[in-house]
Amino acid sequence: MILRVFDPTNERTSAGGKPAPRPVSLKGKTIGFISNGKEGTAGYFGHLDRMLREEFGVADIVFRRKSNYSAPADAHIVDEIKNWQAVVTGVGD
Amino acid sequence: MTTALTSKVYDVDDFAAAQEFYHSNGWTDGLPVVPPTEEAVAACLEWALMPPDMLIGIEPVREQPITAEKLAINAVMAGCLPMHFPIVTTAWQAMMKEEFLMHGVTSSTGGAAVLVIINGPIRREIGANSTFNTLGNSDRSTAVIGRALRLALINLLDARPGGIDRSTLGHPGKFSYCIAEDEEDTTWQPLSVVRGIPEGVSAVTVMGAMAPRQIMNEWTKDPREILETFAAEMRANQRHYSIYGGNYAIIIPKQLRDHIQDAGWSKRDIAEFIYERARIRRAEWTDVGKGAVVRDRGETVHTALASPDDLLVVAAGGPAGGFGAVIAPWFGSKTKAVTAAIGACVDCEPPKG
Repeated sequence: MILRVFDPTNERTSAGGKPAPRPVSLKGKTIGFISNGKEGTAGYFGHLDRMLREEFGVADIVFRRKSNYSAPADAHIVDEIKNWQAVVTGVGD
Repeated sequence: MTTALTSKVYDVDDFAAAQEFYHSNGWTDGLPVVPPTEEAVAACLEWALMPPDMLIGIEPVREQPITAEKLAINAVMAGCLPMHFPIVTTAWQAMMKEEFLMHGVTSSTGGAAVLVIINGPIRREIGANSTFNTLGNSDRSTAVIGRALRLALINLLDARPGGIDRSTLGHPGKFSYCIAEDEEDTTWQPLSVVRGIPEGVSAVTVMGAMAPRQIMNEWTKDPREILETFAAEMRANQRHYSIYGGNYAIIIPKQLRDHIQDAGWSKRDIAEFIYERARIRRAEWTDVGKGAVVRDRGETVHTALASPDDLLVVAAGGPAGGFGAVIAPWFGSKTKAVTAAIGACVDCEPPKG
């Protein structure tokens, strides 16, 4: 007997916007780092800071740490993003 | 009531084909599911007096709308009957409160599950068992309600292992983690009443929760000694898992409960005692291999509870055995337990007189 069944997933998409245009070059740019604050991310961001400055000519790195590593970035950090040309964030442990 | 469902429809050959279809799409928890047919889904919505497009809430971090129809589909898949569905929707409303931080609870490497505690008359209507094996496979109702929450997390918020769910270990409560308080066999107030819901109103409490840690003390009738064992387990959790304070639940089955009640202790007395006893010095982390993060704060005292109000005391469990359980929070106070009244039965009660 044929069963007619339903899709259990959320077929809608979130209200989030489109990704910002990708920068062609990082030279002379200001890059923001948003860390989740976990111990293991320090080495990663330290290495990335050196690499972006030395190999890609980044002018400035702004480092920010979330107050709660399991929640979205704090509003004041999100507000700062407009001053940066790119942001590096993600899951780190 | 209109029950025109708008979800995408699929035709499958039979029950077995439905299993393979749902598993292959990643829409299950690995166990067989009940095929969500129109009749079964509509019956859940009818029971709760909810139109399919009723917005149960919006997940606050990723802004995902959660509708009654989608929850009903997942509830049917989990094995829910219509009478279980109002508990599922209310639990989801509670989970979507900002203070619960559902995104963190369901995505964190910490691997928490959502513990659901049911109070009020609805427990008896659904035949929930609050006694034997309460934290295990105690009965049909709590099994399928807890499972429905997880399936909906998987399917509506993509909380799949390796997807949004980044749990390192997880625990068995992620299949289903639902209990009902034993309100008939205790002198204590129900948890929901302690947390502000009027007496006689059905309610659910949700908590971002780690696995149960079982304790045993059958060698005393002194409430202080019994509760010292619970507090010691909480201190152990602070040492071995997370030092930070948050909502803890303690489950007190009948044997130990009777001793505590006979001594005249209320849930408030228990919470105040535990608040004082469940605390450690940060320096204790040195004893368990975590000296690197003690730094210069060794004398700082960390309480397991920010205040006595943070302890969820639940009367449940089988009639014999000097056991109890401590359920620790996912991670300190990053998530707060939320209690919500189940509204459907209030609305559908016929007017008196």
